[in-house]
Amino acid sequence: MTPFSRRNVLLALLAAAILLPPFANVYQLFVANLIVIYVLLAIGLNILVGYAGQLAFANAAMFGIGAYATGLLQVQLGWSFWAAFPCGALIAAVVGLALSLPALRLSGLYLALSTLAFAQATQWVFLHWESVTFGAGGFKTPPLSFAPLPVDKPLGLYYLSLALAVALFLFAHNLVASRVGRAFVAVRDGEVAAESLGVDLLRTKALAFGISGFYAGVAGGLYSAMLNFVAPEGFDLFQMVLHKAMIVVGGLGSVVGSVLGAGVIIVLLEVLRAFKGLQEIVFGALLVVFVLFMRGGLIAVIKRHVRGWEEPLRLVQPPPTRPEAAPAQAQAPASVAER
Amino acid sequence: MSAAVLSVRDLHIGFGGVKVLEGIDLEVRRGEIRGLIGPNGAGKTTLLNVICGIHRPQQGDIVLNGTSVVGRKPSAIARLGLGRTFQTSQLFRGMTVLENMMTGLHRQTHTGLISAGLDLKRRRREEAQMEKAALDALAFVGMSEFADRPATALSFGQQRVVEIARTLIGEPAVVLMDEPAVGLSANRLTELDALLRRIRDQKGVTLILIEHVIRLVMDVCDQVTVLSSGRCIADGPPEAVRNDRNVIEAYLGKELRARHQAS
Repeated sequence: MTPFSRRNVLLALLAAAILLPPFANVYQLFVANLIVIYVLLAIGLNILVGYAGQLAFANAAMFGIGAYATGLLQVQLGWSFWAAFPCGALIAAVVGLALSLPALRLSGLYLALSTLAFAQATQWVFLHWESVTFGAGGFKTPPLSFAPLPVDKPLGLYYLSLALAVALFLFAHNLVASRVGRAFVAVRDGEVAAESLGVDLLRTKALAFGISGFYAGVAGGLYSAMLNFVAPEGFDLFQMVLHKAMIVVGGLGSVVGSVLGAGVIIVLLEVLRAFKGLQEIVFGALLVVFVLFMRGGLIAVIKRHVRGWEEPLRLVQPPPTRPEAAPAQAQAPASVAER
Repeated sequence: MSAAVLSVRDLHIGFGGVKVLEGIDLEVRRGEIRGLIGPNGAGKTTLLNVICGIHRPQQGDIVLNGTSVVGRKPSAIARLGLGRTFQTSQLFRGMTVLENMMTGLHRQTHTGLISAGLDLKRRRREEAQMEKAALDALAFVGMSEFADRPATALSFGQQRVVEIARTLIGEPAVVLMDEPAVGLSANRLTELDALLRRIRDQKGVTLILIEHVIRLVMDVCDQVTVLSSGRCIADGPPEAVRNDRNVIEAYLGKELRARHQAS
């Protein structure tokens, strides 16, 4: 028996999340909701970076685009949240699709730089297109009501976020174990080989960018509703570092790892609030520790020590020296099959 | 000539003034094993890369199964029935052997984003079919027991065999193999020889081998084409090519050819 199998642990976490509200104060419910939102962000980013291998730095910008689109459609056009929210997520997904165009020609650091430039341009638009975005001061969104349901806003939003996070977790979980997920990993592990098997690079990368944009957009819409306020500094470079930290700490190329990473990082940030001024230092130190000593993230440690955590697609770290040239390999013990 | 599954006509390509291929003609009949040999720098790998769409030729045409493939993306050419294997192992490192094989079925399968994410019945059925096909294909090359191993856990030679199987599972009409024998010991070479014949005879796949291991080429190939300095210098059955004076000259040089013939 494997009582601590992945399924059992996740179900226990879900049960705890569902039963939490009556025992939580306003602040704790806020943090719980924040975690759920970051779970969405981390899963979306992990699909793009961990599975499809695209080193993109635009996730915070997508998050912002989702939040701004959801907020502005309400404020500027008078839409209700229930119409603005899905539209905001779709807009972020479309922007994500568009971002995949440079990704077809650029990779690695060049892709990182160009997406970073896009993120900065997005910041600039949030700050300076004042007639629409209200500039640096941001804007308040209309109060959200779950009218026919007997729940107040924080509780309603928490359960809405949780329901969406569970649905999109399952979606991602199925996706990565499918033909589409294998195409992502194929593109990550070898573009030329992937193409030789008929995997279309543009289509596959566009899909990964679009999906991560959609996840970030959903998270952005929920975030704007949770804060009732949208401002540019929420979607800056630190935000991006936060997302990256979550998937690195949780485990690149693992949907479950994204969930763990988001939870750990948010709880840590809240706990560190008690130590004023130390927050950034401890946070940075933690990242260094993970990068140096736990390359596969939390999920790799769990997989090694707990039974029942196998996942279909794992991210295998390349060995320190990679035999590129044929002669180097020719020296290796050459045998077709040690049967 | 109507049986040609791949024909290359008057192919020219150069990189920044350096002419790499100058007027290559190649007719490969369905079901044959074609050897492509030549000294280093003759343009063999470039020819392979042009055929599979990585480089675009400046002049000439390539017809696969009656369709011109010049100007198409590599993935589109692959979908038209062209497979290839690489000089160095190109298995996907983050996957098991079985998952690698299932990725080889990409072009025959259809599961899209929505049915994959929602885990629809259609997708599950297709996934089960893929798994079965992948296991069958592994059995064909005798690698069944490695299905659940990570690709990186295999030896160099095992990875090569899986890579061949992964290409075959996509049911290509033609497979381009870039030095399949490189780094293999004599015993493994014999196994590879047998495997290539079985692929031709049982799967009806046309194989084009770039190879430096002349023993394998002479043994297994039906026809051999020799490239030197970007041109075809000989084309014919292995025995004829082996004794062709141009070929000996290209490999050994003029003076040595004289000694070679004297001895």
